[in-house]
Amino acid sequence: MPEYSDATIRDLIEGHLPLDEVQRLQHDKDFDRMERVLAIEQARVSWSDRILVCLQEHLYVVAKQDGQRVVKCSCGQEFGDYRTNWKESALVYERQPQDGEIFLGTRGADPEWQVLREFYCPGCAVQLDVEPVPVGYPFIFNFLPDLDE
Amino acid sequence: MSADLKARLIEQERRFQATGSYEPDLRTKAKDPIGFEVLFTKLLQVVSNAREVALSISASPATREQGEIIFGLYTPEGDSICLSTGLMIHVHTMSRAIKWMIENDYETTVGLREGDYFFNNDSFIGGGHPSDQMLITPFYVDGRLEGWVGGLTHVTETGAVEPGAMGSSFTSRYAEGLILPCLKVGENDELRRDMDILVERSVRSAIPWLADNRAKLTGLRLIREAVKALIGETGVESYGKITREYIEDTLQATREKIRRFLFPGRYREVAWRGVTLPGQETLLQAPCELFLGRDGSIQIDFDGLPSARRQPFQGTLPLFEGMLFNGLIQNVFYDLRYNDGTFLAVKLNVPKGTACNPDNIQLPTTLWGPAYGGMMAMAQCVARAYYAKGYREEVHASGPLTSGNLAGGTDQYGRPFGGQCFEFASSGMYATAFMDGLDTAFSDFNAEGDMGDAEVWEQQMPQIFLVREIRKDGGGFGKFRGGSGIHTLYMVPKGIEMDMGAFGSPPIFSTAGIMGGYPAPALRVWVGRNSNLAEVIASGAPLPSTEGDDPSNPEFVQMVKADWEFIHGQNYPARGLPPGSLFSVVSGDGGGYGDPLERDPALVMRDFRSGVTTRRAVRDVYGVVVDEANLEFDPAATQELRSSKRRERLSRGMPAAAYKAQMRERVLARDFPQPAAAMYHDVLKISDKFAREFRSFWELPEDYMV
Repeated sequence: MPEYSDATIRDLIEGHLPLDEVQRLQHDKDFDRMERVLAIEQARVSWSDRILVCLQEHLYVVAKQDGQRVVKCSCGQEFGDYRTNWKESALVYERQPQDGEIFLGTRGADPEWQVLREFYCPGCAVQLDVEPVPVGYPFIFNFLPDLDE
Repeated sequence: MSADLKARLIEQERRFQATGSYEPDLRTKAKDPIGFEVLFTKLLQVVSNAREVALSISASPATREQGEIIFGLYTPEGDSICLSTGLMIHVHTMSRAIKWMIENDYETTVGLREGDYFFNNDSFIGGGHPSDQMLITPFYVDGRLEGWVGGLTHVTETGAVEPGAMGSSFTSRYAEGLILPCLKVGENDELRRDMDILVERSVRSAIPWLADNRAKLTGLRLIREAVKALIGETGVESYGKITREYIEDTLQATREKIRRFLFPGRYREVAWRGVTLPGQETLLQAPCELFLGRDGSIQIDFDGLPSARRQPFQGTLPLFEGMLFNGLIQNVFYDLRYNDGTFLAVKLNVPKGTACNPDNIQLPTTLWGPAYGGMMAMAQCVARAYYAKGYREEVHASGPLTSGNLAGGTDQYGRPFGGQCFEFASSGMYATAFMDGLDTAFSDFNAEGDMGDAEVWEQQMPQIFLVREIRKDGGGFGKFRGGSGIHTLYMVPKGIEMDMGAFGSPPIFSTAGIMGGYPAPALRVWVGRNSNLAEVIASGAPLPSTEGDDPSNPEFVQMVKADWEFIHGQNYPARGLPPGSLFSVVSGDGGGYGDPLERDPALVMRDFRSGVTTRRAVRDVYGVVVDEANLEFDPAATQELRSSKRRERLSRGMPAAAYKAQMRERVLARDFPQPAAAMYHDVLKISDKFAREFRSFWELPEDYMV
């Protein structure tokens, strides 16, 4: 099994790893990556709840001291039990798809067909997801990790 | 002749159902692991060599320059053992066709002999649409069928109602052109002349079809003879045993790879397509639910697909299986043997009667619709599973929708022509978790895709390329942006009669972003009739060279006077255009990754200076302020603008509960625009799962329908 340095994995996470190095990781995988990444991510956040799994950019499932497992943002904002879609605790903005700020004119979808539903962290305002969906579409629950044996 | 082959197929399937294994043991591998690998490498060389030889025989740019071709070696029961590179979608679709011939008693009715060649482009049997054309031949050792060899190319003209095969107006199978369902077109290693005549008289330009058949036949013969020579060395029984072990080995490796590299759990993504036939405008969803087990099991559920209908934006089950197989190989199992072992590992649910599994053979399946989107949704599910396990080097957004133009008429030599410009094989790549998507260099369906030389396309389709450029602001915005596709502006030359059309997308975001990244922009077509281009050329004035920064008023529209028509989305049924007309289309772009306000300003400026990102997007989307004195970004002003944009988010964003309460009233009132209402009306009726979840999410009455 290959071994990659913490610096290499950190550079990958932060998007600074040169492409030839990325390709090396793609072709020759290390088996303990998850533990390595969790340790690096844990060191990057300012809070101490233990990260159980990285859900996506900025979001983690963490173990609270009282045994609860909740979704938590890198800024510390919590989104509730991981079995409930974190989007239910986010800020939501339904963007007119041709509003000119993001998509200019017809680069955007016809609003009769789709809108852009943006989800922000209420703590740090990072944009966590964008759903291009028709009006009235339920929030998409992207990932429910299997944390129990 | 007895139905020996059918009995073998039934027994193989029964054994797999009963045991979950394709072959009960891997004793050949255990006994001689090096010999095991050596023989597989030889088989791989054989199919790869056939592909290279066939490429140089074909006269079709799609095959020759873009590599739209694949060869495979199959067991007697039709399971793939070893495949070349190329059109990976069709690995399993050829398997389907072989099994179909066995199940339909070809052995005892049509007759099977070495030297026979069966042609299929019926997508209900195998393949994706009539453009996907396979040639299959059986081979024998000591009088017993010991395997099959198949080759497939994408042929750009089928004699359909619209030229170029992939028309967006088709409402039945009978509009799709010449469809030959597993027809014997060759005997004694010769293609039948009467079959060539049938093609010559049925399609606009027969050369790609017929030249590709010769290319495939050559490849098949090369493979057959080489494999039979190898069987001569190994012995026929050992060959049968080891080839079954290759499939079982892949099946086991597939489960092991899932267990080791993907996080267990439930994943959901939805991709979007739509019907644009006048009066039938409807959104089509491809809702993917992926279950990954701790034991390496994998289930993919597409409950919630819309109904199959008389519209071209749908695909058959063989095609959909092929798409998913392709997505799995490209994203997860790229370092395993490419064979049916991977497919056998997957438990798949695609409800019958839906747009990815039509149960009515009369329906068209020309443009795939949610069958293509479903693969993209599945790939995003897989990306999340990699992310959770720490393998960020495998994480990406959705790949591009493929879209392009069609043309037909009489060419510069006075001959009928028809085709589709396959340059969309080099669309914009998805953004990844570590870099931007590549511009004009990617397609999901063929990892070796290329745009082909403009001059070669002009030989086959005499439309003249005036512009071929990287589309500005093409990829989905994000921390890493999606790759941009191609913008192409064609001119109808003097003296040419031509119908032109385009296929692709309704006016929607077809390619999703991920984890805060935006989708790729909507596609569009501009058509300019009765232009003054001849006068512009005669005057020596500059010719159009770009779309420019304002998509609402492109530079080519400003520079050339014409009766300009704008179509939002990229479905434009082919119609006659006089010489001097202009036709502007775009290929797909990749989805974005992550929050655009977290994009490195240095990358934003790099794209601004190269012209890929416009000044407007630099400021409005990325929150980067340009210092006009040196065209670098202003760090302090950028930080302030980004802070201000984040404050705006906090101010305009509604708590989800408040948003839901507000939207619930609208849902209760059934206040939906028509394309959404049409989809809800359909899917709520046919999918209990979707209806249950929809009603639960919005807290609706049990009998709520749209």
